[in-house]
Amino acid sequence: MIFEVLERSLRQPNRVIPVEALLGNCEGSRMPDVTAARLTPVIAQRLVEVCPTGAISMKELGGRPCLQLSYAECIGCGRCEERGEGAVATLPRFTWSGLPKANLVRLWDIESHAEVTPPRPDPEIVRGQIQSLFGKALNIRQLDGGSCNGCEAEISALTNPYYDLERFGIHFVASPKHADLLLVTGPVTRNMAEAVKATYGAVPSPKLVVAVGACGCSGGIFAGSHAVVGGVDSVIPVDGYIPGCPPTPAMLLTGILEVLRSRTPR
Amino acid sequence: MNEHMPNVAPSDKRDSQGSPLVLPRLRTGSIARLVTVFGSLGPEREKRVHYVFDVGEAKYWETVVVAKGPVRSLVPGLPCAAWYERELHDQYGVEITGHPDLRPLVFHENWPIDVHPMVDAVNQVPWASREYKFLTVQGDGVAEVAVGPVHAGIIEPGHFRFSVLGDTVLHLELRHFYTHKGTEKLFEGSFANSVVMIAESVSGDNCFAHAVAYSQAVENACGAEVPPRASAIRLIGLEFERLVSHISDVGGLCTDVGFGVAAAYATRIKEFLLRASADCCGTRYWRGIAVPGGLRFDLDSSKVLQLSQVVSLAARQFADLAKVILETPSIQNRFETTGIVSLDAARDLALVGPVARASGIDLDVRRDHPYGHYGRLQFEVPVTHYGDVMARAKIRIKEAAISARLIQQAASALTPGSVSVPPELGGELRGSSAVESPRGELYYWLEGRDGRLTRCHIKSPSFQNWPAMPFAIADNIIADFPLINKSFNLSYSGCDR
Repeated sequence: MIFEVLERSLRQPNRVIPVEALLGNCEGSRMPDVTAARLTPVIAQRLVEVCPTGAISMKELGGRPCLQLSYAECIGCGRCEERGEGAVATLPRFTWSGLPKANLVRLWDIESHAEVTPPRPDPEIVRGQIQSLFGKALNIRQLDGGSCNGCEAEISALTNPYYDLERFGIHFVASPKHADLLLVTGPVTRNMAEAVKATYGAVPSPKLVVAVGACGCSGGIFAGSHAVVGGVDSVIPVDGYIPGCPPTPAMLLTGILEVLRSRTPR
Repeated sequence: MNEHMPNVAPSDKRDSQGSPLVLPRLRTGSIARLVTVFGSLGPEREKRVHYVFDVGEAKYWETVVVAKGPVRSLVPGLPCAAWYERELHDQYGVEITGHPDLRPLVFHENWPIDVHPMVDAVNQVPWASREYKFLTVQGDGVAEVAVGPVHAGIIEPGHFRFSVLGDTVLHLELRHFYTHKGTEKLFEGSFANSVVMIAESVSGDNCFAHAVAYSQAVENACGAEVPPRASAIRLIGLEFERLVSHISDVGGLCTDVGFGVAAAYATRIKEFLLRASADCCGTRYWRGIAVPGGLRFDLDSSKVLQLSQVVSLAARQFADLAKVILETPSIQNRFETTGIVSLDAARDLALVGPVARASGIDLDVRRDHPYGHYGRLQFEVPVTHYGDVMARAKIRIKEAAISARLIQQAASALTPGSVSVPPELGGELRGSSAVESPRGELYYWLEGRDGRLTRCHIKSPSFQNWPAMPFAIADNIIADFPLINKSFNLSYSGCDR
């Protein structure tokens, strides 16, 4: 019997996706992008109205009306694309994984049809930097602060033969006391708030915290519920955010590597 | 009551102080299967209690009691009502007499005992600090093992309190609702046509079943017909979700007994399917596709066919893997006679889904209460009576093959046409719908006016099946708990909502 199992395994082709093909990949997540040329005040107003989580809003910048899109709140429902008359399209690549919250916000000037997002320091991991990630082992403790289990399904997928997280020296560990990084999904519920704080306290310093999913980043669709406290940062400090509902394994990997790159010495 | 309500029998209103509820019976004379109990507020904000039963007909049986005073508990005759009545007590503050255990269920020590969120204002609820008493098992050598809410893996939170004698579990007390997000309340005041994403976030890995169940309830409330193409594509999505879920569960069982090769193989097949789904419809878990009235957008027929080819290949690979798993002696040794749920326990607790079918209950919403495209297709419902981990694994293996066949049938017979007729939501809304999700019967009930919801109740299969876990683990060794738990594969978030 065991020989049959081994024979089957040996017959299997290698499924591992090269890291270059994973970084920035967001297929299957439906994260939106705004085509500034098509933006009109009427369309902008409609986008604000159809967004169920307030990820899209109007903002004044230097006295000019701007459209603001915050990926922390976005659940990728696609309604803005559906109602945007071509002003919103699905992003082909998502490079906002693993960044501080302030860098998840984009702005477009509605009158001049231009993106006016302040530039962020490091746009994404470039090919040459992949080398620098080798030799950095990382132990992750995953913590569910009250999620719907969608993010957990995708986090589990990181260990399957396509993504093979172990190739980067990254492991999921059972105890927070063995962890370098807490990967926390949300929204943090009232009933989990104490346990999230206690788990954070059990991770030895120095430690990193990454908030996962729209709910982990901001509370998402559950923000404002009487039974929910909010995003992960309403309970413990957060170093990087991975948006998406749920973020795909490629977005999770991109975010984890980005936090590793930007928050640890070279 | 709305005349377009194929799923609901006419309700008869009662006063709680009058005669007690007469439980509906099947033709055989036994009491019908309880589907759900929930509260709502009437037009004068009076508290009402709804009881829904499956009386062996296509339509569910529903009755409403106005709770002017205390309501008599159903638990002495129907143990499966226990959690429903505790939840009702928490959410609405309805007084219940004769219930053996009315400790708070949904709300923990941090929640003030006198705040009932479906009735009272819930902005700025103060933080309380109450005490929770676990049931204690006494006797020489009895020890307690407390596990959770944070577990040692990529798993949802919940607390398990085991009372053990050596390795053997005498009693397990569940303490859940750590992921309670007040979801039912979030629907209140929302436009029925635009909040399907709340339903999608009840249980992330069964999001399509929730989206379809919610959408069908809205369609039921306003008598909307879903175009045939949309209902065929919904069937493909529902069966795809079941296939992925069952493959994942069988792989998970292998993980829990240390059969790493088979577990990795199962995760590979699952990922193969999820990637094909992203190619077909732009989403790995069929989020944002179902809406009241049909689908949010059409899928390319050639891509649906491609998906069905991937499904057929994946199902063959899974059948091959399943054969190896079932023939491995160490797997047989661990799975067989482990975590038995007897037929009596399954009936008393009104279990649903694969867990019920593994314990001899012949029940499947797709066949017994047909919805959407299911009335047009023939399929078998596997049932077995052993009630152990092996039985639950075998039921899932058989169902995965059936799901794959249903997908082939629906995909090859897909006809062109529109995929959405936006429902007209004027006036009074009242509807319900049931779907056989991968975990079992999922039931949505909603009420509203002029397009806005005033109440949406979700009966999730996990809420129904969790109370069976203590029965499955009793007399087993504590080391088998992860395996037994996985063989149920219950959603914490779906239960806690």
